Amino acid sequence: MIMNKNRDWLVRRAEQEDGCFVSVGGLVEALEQAEQAPSNVIPFKHAFVRFLQLVRRDRKLSMEQFAKKVDIDLVELLKIETDEQYTPAIRTVHQIAEFLKIPEKKLMALAGLLRVKDAQFQNAALKFAARSKPVERLSQEEQSALEEYVKFLCER
Amino acid sequence: MRSPIQIVDAATKELVEAELFDEVTVEHFLETQTEWRPVVVEAAKRMLESGASRDVLPRHFHWDWTSKEADLRILAFSFFGISAKGRLQGLMKLESAARSGRIVSQKGKPLIYVDYLETAPWNIKPLMKALGRGPEFSAVGTRLIEGAVRKSLDEGFKGRLALHSLSTSERFYLDVCGMTAVGRDPAKQNLLWCEFTPEQAETFLNEGAA
Repeated sequence: MIMNKNRDWLVRRAEQEDGCFVSVGGLVEALEQAEQAPSNVIPFKHAFVRFLQLVRRDRKLSMEQFAKKVDIDLVELLKIETDEQYTPAIRTVHQIAEFLKIPEKKLMALAGLLRVKDAQFQNAALKFAARSKPVERLSQEEQSALEEYVKFLCER
Repeated sequence: MRSPIQIVDAATKELVEAELFDEVTVEHFLETQTEWRPVVVEAAKRMLESGASRDVLPRHFHWDWTSKEADLRILAFSFFGISAKGRLQGLMKLESAARSGRIVSQKGKPLIYVDYLETAPWNIKPLMKALGRGPEFSAVGTRLIEGAVRKSLDEGFKGRLALHSLSTSERFYLDVCGMTAVGRDPAKQNLLWCEFTPEQAETFLNEGAA
């Protein structure tokens, strides 16, 4: 991230800010959240990564071929598939959703880019992640899990 | 991401080397609890003792960053911090999905939402005044908002940015940053929804007073 290096801009802004309160969130937010029911939001990143790996393998595409077809950066695809801490860009998830013909918002949620409080959605993601194992070829069980999950994403 | 930046020494007006980073960890949250919170509590106590109205007390008095630890794993969120002189000077949490513009000309367009933003208490003049000293650094809030605008540009949101300002912070977002006061939000304790259009964000990044 390239930040403004202009000294005059910074000094002028500092004078205007002048040590005032800048807080966003805080007590009001905390009170509001306490009044709400506990959130059951959980990250689905593991399911997202496994989902991508399986659909790619199901189509017998290398990472390079998949990235080219989906029009996303190969390095980013590599990061997504190998680093669960990596945050995929919104555009990347959009491109993947378009390519796979899967509702974008659901894939965003699976990628952790949207919050979801739908217990059924969470359970389906967890079930899918738990059923799929990293092997060279899709097992019958993985094939079945993948087809079932694609059907679930597209129908709801 | 680690970007070298400068902030301003509030006493000497000299520029001070600092760093904007997005690798925020649980330890940073703990630092706000162990280093920031006692100062805020002591300052608020002195302000009450001196007869200050509760309206001017820091609204982030009960802010608990540790409750945000789980959010580190929610990937729609991003966190930024500013460090200088070996200490954490400010923290910010952004949401990059599921929010859109409320200004008529920006309706439905995606933006970055500032969910939390805070500077260290020793950078807040009213708190330091209560403790009998001056603030240490200035422009920390400005630098965080600059980071949020640049994140918006990086995401393709053209600088669009929004937040719910606490009442004590409205002057900063409206008069200093030049955001538009769109309206009180009944769904958010009647806090003021402030928003940057792409043009206002551009002005903030490149010009002086709004």
